[in-house]
Amino acid sequence: MSTTTAPTSFASEFRAICGVDHVVEAPKENILGVAPSIAVRPGSPDEIVAILRFANEHGLSVVPAGGFTQQQTGKVPPQVDVLLYTSRLTDVEHYDSGDLTIGVGAGWTIAQLSARVAADNLFFAGDAALSARSTVGGLLATGLYGPHRHGYGGPRDYCIGVRFVSGDARKAKGGGRVVKNVAGYDMMKVLIGSQGTLGIITSASFKLFPALRQTLTFVAEFANAEEAFAFRDRVLHSPLDPICLELVSPEAGTLLEAGGAWSILLRAAGSDAVLARYRAELGTAVSREIEGQPENNLWRAVSDFSHLVQEGHPRSLLISMTLPLADLQPLLDGLAWVAHSNDLTLAAVGRVGVGHLLIAMWPAPDAEVTMVNFVNAASGLRNRLPRDASMAVLHCPPEARHHVTAWGPMPTDLESMRKVKMTLDPRDVLNRGRFLF
Amino acid sequence: MVAADSLLEGRPVTSQRHVLNDLVTVLAGGATLALFAMTLPQVVENLRKIAGRDAVLDRPEDLMLYEYDAGIRKSTPGAVVFPQTTEQVSQIMRLASSAQMPVVPRGAGTGLSGGAISKEGGIVIAFSRMNRILEVDVANQRAIVQPGVVNLQLSEHVSHLGLYFAPDPSSQKACTIGGNVAENSGGPHTLMYGVTVNHVTGVEVVLPSGEIVHFGGKAAESYGYDMTGFFVGSEGTVGIATAITVKLLRKPEKVATLLGIFESVDDAGQTVSAITAAGITPAALEMLDGWTLRTIEAYCHAGYPLDAGAVLLIELDGLREAVEEQAEAVREVCLQQKAREVRRAKTEEERALLWKGRKTAFGALGRVTPSYYTQDGVVPRSKIAATLQFIGDVSKKYDLIIGNIFHAGDGNMHPLILFDIRFADQLERALAASKDILEYCIAVGGSITGEHGVGMEKRDLMPVLFTEQDLDVMTSLRNAFNRDNVLNPEKLFPTPRMCREISGPARNPVLAQEGL
Repeated sequence: MSTTTAPTSFASEFRAICGVDHVVEAPKENILGVAPSIAVRPGSPDEIVAILRFANEHGLSVVPAGGFTQQQTGKVPPQVDVLLYTSRLTDVEHYDSGDLTIGVGAGWTIAQLSARVAADNLFFAGDAALSARSTVGGLLATGLYGPHRHGYGGPRDYCIGVRFVSGDARKAKGGGRVVKNVAGYDMMKVLIGSQGTLGIITSASFKLFPALRQTLTFVAEFANAEEAFAFRDRVLHSPLDPICLELVSPEAGTLLEAGGAWSILLRAAGSDAVLARYRAELGTAVSREIEGQPENNLWRAVSDFSHLVQEGHPRSLLISMTLPLADLQPLLDGLAWVAHSNDLTLAAVGRVGVGHLLIAMWPAPDAEVTMVNFVNAASGLRNRLPRDASMAVLHCPPEARHHVTAWGPMPTDLESMRKVKMTLDPRDVLNRGRFLF
Repeated sequence: MVAADSLLEGRPVTSQRHVLNDLVTVLAGGATLALFAMTLPQVVENLRKIAGRDAVLDRPEDLMLYEYDAGIRKSTPGAVVFPQTTEQVSQIMRLASSAQMPVVPRGAGTGLSGGAISKEGGIVIAFSRMNRILEVDVANQRAIVQPGVVNLQLSEHVSHLGLYFAPDPSSQKACTIGGNVAENSGGPHTLMYGVTVNHVTGVEVVLPSGEIVHFGGKAAESYGYDMTGFFVGSEGTVGIATAITVKLLRKPEKVATLLGIFESVDDAGQTVSAITAAGITPAALEMLDGWTLRTIEAYCHAGYPLDAGAVLLIELDGLREAVEEQAEAVREVCLQQKAREVRRAKTEEERALLWKGRKTAFGALGRVTPSYYTQDGVVPRSKIAATLQFIGDVSKKYDLIIGNIFHAGDGNMHPLILFDIRFADQLERALAASKDILEYCIAVGGSITGEHGVGMEKRDLMPVLFTEQDLDVMTSLRNAFNRDNVLNPEKLFPTPRMCREISGPARNPVLAQEGL
C-alpha cells in the first residue's frame, strides 16, 4: 500500500498538470465537514488521467465535484485529499438540432444546456434541483431526476453516450451520439448513479425532445393520502399521458407555496383539444389549473424541493427512495407515525407514477428535538422499506451524521457491485469511504 | 499456430482434473485449439444427471439444429441441455466452469449476429423448457418471466388486462425474452418506447461461477450500481438470466397507421428528417425501398404500391385527440416533402396488413434469394438520405442487390444484402459490402448495431468504433465476472489479433473523405 503524500508535495505536481491558476490549496469547501487538502480544476480528460494516475500512485483520495449541490450525500469520508472540479470541461462535442441530440462537457450546468437547446425549440429532460448550479456530470453521477421523470424517463433513458476516466486512470467511452446503439457494454448504465465512485465523467451525449408548445397543470386536492393515491391510480389506468404526476404532502405544499392539502399535481402538454380532454377525464377532482409563469415557477420549486427543505429547515433529514408503485401509500402511512413519534414534521413529494419519493423531516413546532430523534426516525424509515426498495440520505443534521446509515438496503447483489468497483477503481481512489464499500 | 503450453498458462488446475482425462482437441486447420478437462461423454453424462436423461442432446443429427441462428455463421455444439430450473442452470455452470467447457445460452435462435452460436464442441443451454410467466403484478405494472417465454406470448397473456410488453422485434412471434435481454433487442416501436433495457427492472442471474444473484427488482430504478442496466445487452458474456422482471405498459387508446408513398428513397429519407424537425415523435417510423416493397407485396399482398420508389410506414399512438392532430401533421409534412400520396389504415385489418408486410419481410426475401445478410448500422437521422445513397453505390460496387427495410425514425438501417452462400466469392463480396456500409455508419457519427448486437459477426469492427482503451475497460468488466471466458467466448469483443489488424488509418476512401 502506498503512503499518503503531504499536500504541499503534490500541489506542485497538480500545478504542472493543470496550470498554476487551477490549483487551490486548502479550499474553503468541505465534504460533510471534512476539508480537502487541495482543489484542482483540470481543463481536459487528459489532465484528469494525469491527476488520477498520480492519485493511484500515491494512494490519494479524490472527490469529483460539479456544482456542489449534492455533496451532502453519503457517508462521512475519513479524509479527502483532492477535490476535483469538472467546471472547465465545457466543450460542445456535437450538437445536431435536426437529429435531436447534443454532446457536451461534464461542466455544463443543466440551466445552460436547457437554454442552449431551447433556442432551437428543443427540450432537455434533465430537471434535477438547482439547475443553475448542478452540472451534467453531477446529474449523471448521482442519477437524480425531477418531476419530468414521469413523462421523459431519467438520465438512464435519455443519456446516449458518455466519456469518462476510470478510477484507475483509463480514458474510455460508452455508447455514442445516435439514439439507438447496442454496440459494446452500456457504460452509461454503469456510471449513471454510481455516485462518482467508478469514474469521472468528462462529457456526455443526450437525446433531446421537441419543446413543449403548450402545457397546463391541474391541481387536485384531497383530505388524505389515501384519496390522493386513489386519484393517482385512476390517472394511471386512464388513457391520459401526463408529463408530470407528482404527489405533494400538506407540509411540502406549504414549502412549495402550492397549498396545504394532500395534492396531486398533473402536468399535461398538447393542444387546446388535448387539454380539454384532460379536463373532462379528471373531472371535479381538480380544484385549480395553473399555466404560464406561475406554472413554470411551481415546477421549478418541485424540482428544487430538496434545496427548499435545506434552506427552510437547516436541521432536517432528507431521504430519497425508490420503490414499487403499490408500496408508496403503505410506506407513507407508516412514516407519518415514525415522524410523529419522534416529534418531527413530515413532508413528502414524489413521482408517484414512477415510484420515487423524497421524504423530509424537521423538528415539529415547539418540540425539543435531539440527535436521537433524527437517528430513530431514519432507522424507523429504513426498517419500513418494502422489498425491492432502495434509499439514500441526501441531507442529515451534522450532529446525527455519524449515526445515520447513509445508504439503505438495495435489491442488487452487493458482491457483484464490488466486482465492478474493483475493476474500475481498484485502489479506491474515487469518493473513498463515502459509498457502500 | 498456438502452442499447447501457452494455453495451459494461467488456467486453474481443478481438483477434478487428476481423475479426468485431459483432452486436447486440435480442430481443422490447426488454428483452433480447445482444451477440455473432461471428455465430452463425461460432460454429457453429468448434464443428464443435472437436468434429466431426456434433457440433453448429443447425437450429431440433433445437434445440427443448434448450429446456426438467423445470421450466417455456423458452429456445431458438443451438447445441448434443456434446464427446467434456475438451480439446474447453476449446476450446469459449475460443471462447465470446472470442466473449462465453453457455454452459450440460447433462446429461439432468431438472433442475427451469431450471439447464440456455440463455440465448436461447446455446450448450448437452451431455454425452451424455462418458459413460464412466473407472475403478473398489475398494481406494480410488472411481470416476472423465465427467459424462454416468447416475446409475443407475454403481450398476449396480459392483453385482457389492457397491458402489453413494448419491445417488439420483427421475430416477436418466436424470439424469447431471455434473448431480448441478452441482445438488448429493439423493434419498430423502440422509436417512442425504447429498447429492451428501458423495460427491464430486475434480473435473476446465474454467474459463470454458478452463483445465483439478483440485480434490481420491481422498482423502476434503485440506488447502487445499475447492474440490471449493465447486464441487459451484455450478450451473454456476464451471466445467464434465469428470471426477468419487465415493465408492462398500458395499451394506447388510439393508434393511427399511415403509409406515405414516395417516388424516391431520397424524398422518403428527407421526410424522416422533416418529421423529426417538426417536433413529432411517432411510435414507429419505418422505411421500405421500392425493390423491397415489391418483393414483399408479391409474397403477402400487404397493399404496398408496386411502382413507388419508397414508402414510409408511420404509426402514432396515445390519447385520441393527440393522435388525430399528429396524424394530420405527419400527412402535411409528407406532402410538403413530395409524397405522391399518404394513405391511412381505416380498420384494424388494414393496419395489421401493413405491419404484416413489414414483419414478414425476411420470409419474402427467402423466396427470391438463397441467402441474405442483414446489417444493423445506425446513423444520425439527418444522414439517412446520404447513407441510402452510399448503400446504392456499394450495391453497384460489389454487384449485389441490397434491399432496405429499416427503422428510419431512429436512423437504424437494415440493408439486406442478397447473395448465394454456395459461391464463396459471393459470400466474400457480401461481407465486404457489409463492412463498407458499417464503416460508413461509423464515419458519419453512427454505430455498427442498433438492436441486433455485436455477437460473432461484428466484433472485428469494434476497434473501429472504440479505442483499445475503451475495449480494455469493457473486457476488464467482463473478466471480473467471466474470468476464464467459459461463458459465451469469442463474442462481442475482438481478440487482440483483430485489434491490430483493424487499427491504423482507415483504408476505405469514403472514410478518408469523411475525415477519418
